[in-house]
Amino acid sequence: MEAQHKILVLDDEGDWLDVCREFLSQLPSRPEIRTVSTGMRALALLDSQPFRVLLCDLRMPRMDGLQVLSIVRRRFPELRTVALTGFSDEDFRSRAYALGVDMFWLKSDMQQNQQMFLDCIESLLGQEDDGGFRDIQSKNILDVIRMELALRNSSVLRITSGRQVAQLWIQDGQIIDARVEGADGEAAFGRLLKWKGGMFESLPPENGHIQTIHKSLEALLTESAQILKKTANPTRSQEEEETNFVTRMTALAYEGAEFVVTIPVKKEDAAKGWGIHDTDRLAVWARLAEKAMQRLGQKLNAGPWTHIAGQSLERHLLFVPGNGRTFVIGWPPKTDPRQLFEQSKKLADTWAS
Amino acid sequence: MGILNWFSKSEPVVQKVPAGSFTVDRHGRVMTTTVGSEYPQRLLDDTAREVLTLFREARTAQMPMTGIDLHFAGLHIKAREMQGGAIIFLSPQNAPATPPPAEKDSP
Repeated sequence: MEAQHKILVLDDEGDWLDVCREFLSQLPSRPEIRTVSTGMRALALLDSQPFRVLLCDLRMPRMDGLQVLSIVRRRFPELRTVALTGFSDEDFRSRAYALGVDMFWLKSDMQQNQQMFLDCIESLLGQEDDGGFRDIQSKNILDVIRMELALRNSSVLRITSGRQVAQLWIQDGQIIDARVEGADGEAAFGRLLKWKGGMFESLPPENGHIQTIHKSLEALLTESAQILKKTANPTRSQEEEETNFVTRMTALAYEGAEFVVTIPVKKEDAAKGWGIHDTDRLAVWARLAEKAMQRLGQKLNAGPWTHIAGQSLERHLLFVPGNGRTFVIGWPPKTDPRQLFEQSKKLADTWAS
Repeated sequence: MGILNWFSKSEPVVQKVPAGSFTVDRHGRVMTTTVGSEYPQRLLDDTAREVLTLFREARTAQMPMTGIDLHFAGLHIKAREMQGGAIIFLSPQNAPATPPPAEKDSP
């Protein structure tokens, strides 16, 4: 007997959860449907039992949907994910796809095209996880590229693997350019070949795109193979980075913080953010605050600074110094302010380790 | 005798940690204060200026704050924003710079 699949729906609005439950109960395969209203609860539930599909709202207080999806994509790679949102926001859409979601649905579209939505979810429930690139099952990146070249197609292939996004420009069956984060041209193509899996999307061709690759696919493959041979454990640092990312995002989620930003003392070193995207302005403020604290500590004979706590209607902010950098940690407004320093220190220790 | 005073060492001045509260307007001028009059005015001005700058930069960073607490080992500065100015509370903390010597066991 075939096991009954489970669907988890995450949304902070109780009424919407009821609507989803009603919708999904019409699925032909009759999956078990569970609903939760917070990201933390969703992660705890995913930890405790296997689910097939996660439907995740993107705009939520505390841990938002993108944070949940970034954790889920790494901790539960076999889980199919659907991003839901009430707002037509292209930035949200591209960020969700960059996180490797299987589908992106506007809530209004979902209600208007009910049958199509159900068909999509049913197809996700039915998909077996057999590796390779999604949308073209059992095919690896080379198969996909070869297929495009053999058809003498012109297109832009967008390939997403976790947080990584690559683009490959193909013109009349020839690769003319490639781009991954931090590399262009042949170097980017070489990196792309190391990817184990991901999601594949074919976009319309870009006329006039500048050609940076002039070699045939076979020549590129030969060169890449030679480079791969020379490099021992080529993906180890990448895997470590991924592990660090998941550990930190999980710590963030379980402590209930909104975001963490680390700001090195040196201005030339960039600030890094988890759970927040725009860190530049915050970094300027944090560096200024740190200097102000040093000046005040000396002038007022008050000793070294231990932390800064800021309050507003939207959030609490904690600035904690440590290991040659300042940690700025955002907390929801309802967090008990008496606990904030200890909680922030704990998170900063996790980051420092 | 007066000439000898030139060669005598002056007493080291211990700068006290301030205590009390004061209000400042949006320009950083101290309006009212309960901090002792012996405490240097320029240090209150400096504190006010730094606090107002922090509030202003928070707005620039698009994270406007209604209150900012600055914690030092020996002082807690609590600032609440008031129509561009601020009310600032200064509370000395009991944080010894060096730990007290361990007591010897009596025989």
